[in-house]
Amino acid sequence: MTGTAPSDGLKTEFAGQRPRLFKLALVASFWTVLSLGFYRFWMKTRLRRWYWSAIRPGGLPLEYVGDPFEKLLGFFMAVVIMAFYIGIVNLILMFASLSLFATNFTAYAASLIGVIPIWFFARYRARRYVLARTRWRGVRFGLEPGAWGYAGRALWHWLITILSAGLLWPRKTFFLEKYRTDRTVFGSITLHQGGEWTMLMPAFVHVIVAGCATAVAGGAVAIGNPTVPWVGIVAVPYLIYGIIHYTVEAKRILANHKTAGDISLTAVPRIGTITRIYIFGYLATVLICLLPVIPITVLLGVIEMQKSSGLYDPTIDTTSIYGIPTTVWTALGIFAYFAVLLLWSVLRHCFVTMPLWRHYAQTLSIENPEALVTVSQKQRDDFREAEGFAEALDLWGAI
Amino acid sequence: MTERTIITVDGPRTADHTLEGQGLFLDGDRAAPHPARFTYTDADQSLTIATPDGPIQWPYADIRALRDQSTDETLILRLNTDPTARLLVTNSDDQHLTRARAKQIHRAPKTAHRGRLMAWALAAVASVALIIFVLVPLMADQLAEYLPPAGEKALGDATFDQIRNALDDTGFTGIAICDAPEGRAALAKIETRLTDELVLDTPLTVHVLDHPMVNAFALPGGYVVFFRGLLDEAARPEEVAAVFAHEIGHVAARDPTRIALRSAGSIGVLGLLLGDFAGGAVVLFLAERIIQADYTQDAEAAADTFAHRVLLDADLPPSAIGTFFERLAEGRDDGIGLIDHFMSHPALGDRIAAARAAEPPNAEFRPILTETEWRALQAICD
Repeated sequence: MTGTAPSDGLKTEFAGQRPRLFKLALVASFWTVLSLGFYRFWMKTRLRRWYWSAIRPGGLPLEYVGDPFEKLLGFFMAVVIMAFYIGIVNLILMFASLSLFATNFTAYAASLIGVIPIWFFARYRARRYVLARTRWRGVRFGLEPGAWGYAGRALWHWLITILSAGLLWPRKTFFLEKYRTDRTVFGSITLHQGGEWTMLMPAFVHVIVAGCATAVAGGAVAIGNPTVPWVGIVAVPYLIYGIIHYTVEAKRILANHKTAGDISLTAVPRIGTITRIYIFGYLATVLICLLPVIPITVLLGVIEMQKSSGLYDPTIDTTSIYGIPTTVWTALGIFAYFAVLLLWSVLRHCFVTMPLWRHYAQTLSIENPEALVTVSQKQRDDFREAEGFAEALDLWGAI
Repeated sequence: MTERTIITVDGPRTADHTLEGQGLFLDGDRAAPHPARFTYTDADQSLTIATPDGPIQWPYADIRALRDQSTDETLILRLNTDPTARLLVTNSDDQHLTRARAKQIHRAPKTAHRGRLMAWALAAVASVALIIFVLVPLMADQLAEYLPPAGEKALGDATFDQIRNALDDTGFTGIAICDAPEGRAALAKIETRLTDELVLDTPLTVHVLDHPMVNAFALPGGYVVFFRGLLDEAARPEEVAAVFAHEIGHVAARDPTRIALRSAGSIGVLGLLLGDFAGGAVVLFLAERIIQADYTQDAEAAADTFAHRVLLDADLPPSAIGTFFERLAEGRDDGIGLIDHFMSHPALGDRIAAARAAEPPNAEFRPILTETEWRALQAICD
């Protein structure tokens, strides 16, 4: 430090309340359903604007400057390329599979395997797009090009993970995160992921223990010898906890080893809080989603009971039930279906996604923020295809 | 209430004392926010911001607020024409004053590339059309020639199962294959009679499906499939034999292999465009397309010519196909399946005439089935 007093770091605030998010998500989901899915590009943009503006390191909000039209454009571009792949390549694969193996299963398998590298490619490109459209203090983030490099490494690290029966999962987490972080820029500075992959291993112990216990319990049931059913009853929830534990701990450790020049991060997310958010968030979401289903279920139950007791005979008039035409009942069923879909996506934002983001934001601070003054703007990344491939491959992610 | 808020109620006025506000300015170049005083200059309808680099002017008409923000505590302003510079206003009086002046504040800022969007939308539709209607059929036609018999059989097996499942409205097992032994024997007798003189690449696999559709179709790998509806509708076994011969013609020419390979290419592309919710519908649509196989007029004519020759070789009347079509066309106006297909074909009359012409005058024919065998065939699904 050159004479300046050491700072306490920039705390991150989260300035967002559920009612406003609920209204935004509800309206946007409604239009998405009504437009047969095309409004989803607008929905994503609007939700991201909301989330980004809520996250305020040092009191200054992030800004999302993505445009729904560029997302739609990217989707069309991806369709042009993917249509070629799916049409022509699949036809050739089908021919080869039938000629060589006299089965079409090989073609489906090969086609699926062929999509995996494109899937990783799309993930990287989508991240690059989102970062290029994110600003803080008026300065852009960015991700250097390298999607094919990422796809290649992702395949390699996945292969190692699978060959090690999952034991080396933290190695994959670390190296893929390092690849992404080392290519992430904020204006004129580049981020750096420090540390070793082994630092994530202790956080993975719960998953290994619970995974082994689950495998033992599953194996015992499989060979018809469920002598220790309690092992499964304990092991499965423990495995779920282990996964949450690892996710939070890995995020925390990786964040604490990220630097950008003299700037560094301090993250202190609490595993207990995150676990609570998952449990009660999903519980609330599921329970409220069931509300539109309850009246219909009760009604069907009543009809069934009357049928069995001979009070109600549907053969008298097949076009109506209780004097209401069956078409109306069908319409009610469809309405309930979409109501559940809509509520699910809206409530998950309010009770799961938003609380998670809030907790991660509020437990993150930026050390040595004085160095930010020297950061200057980066060239605009005119990224035409946006996240089109991710869209075409249906990689929705959190938002 | 301060003096400044009263002024907003009255609307902007050209006061001799200037109105000032306090905000945080981000120049869009350095990551350093600057506290900045700004002045409402109503005379020239603009906001003057005192930045470290000197004052800059934002015309009221060009000021926009960021949208879908998480809170109203901070009003973030930008210029319609400048994508990066921002002015953060937290004081609620300042926010009111600004809103009262910048009337376009809620409009979306300008973005480019709308024209490019249309171009790519058209390109997406065009490329999908090109692939489904030109490239895939072209390649399928070429590849069908080189597919070995075992591969063709596998393709036929898979397609046959798909069709049975797609046509089954209720269960999960697929519509039933009719296999009453006497009926199968009668069917085998027709097959033997027709194929006795023929050399085929693959042996035929003949089935009757329990479905009321008046139709028959061929699949890759030597499949010839009748629906029960066709057997019900035919008046004589010779008519069934004539349809049989026509379908053998398609098998010999590998027409169904082309159609099936085409579907393999098109199914995924349609799925990509429509998404998962339409997945089931796409399969149904393709199954339908294979049954109502839209062969080219040349392929149909070739299969007819083939049938005429096979029928004559087997001492059977080619005109039977003509009488079958005619009766269907006259007798029923709710005709489904085959008759729809052939009626939509402009050359139906020609085909009936061709079938008549193929029959030499005074030709001698031998009956194909006994009365008992014919009844057994019609009862194959019972």
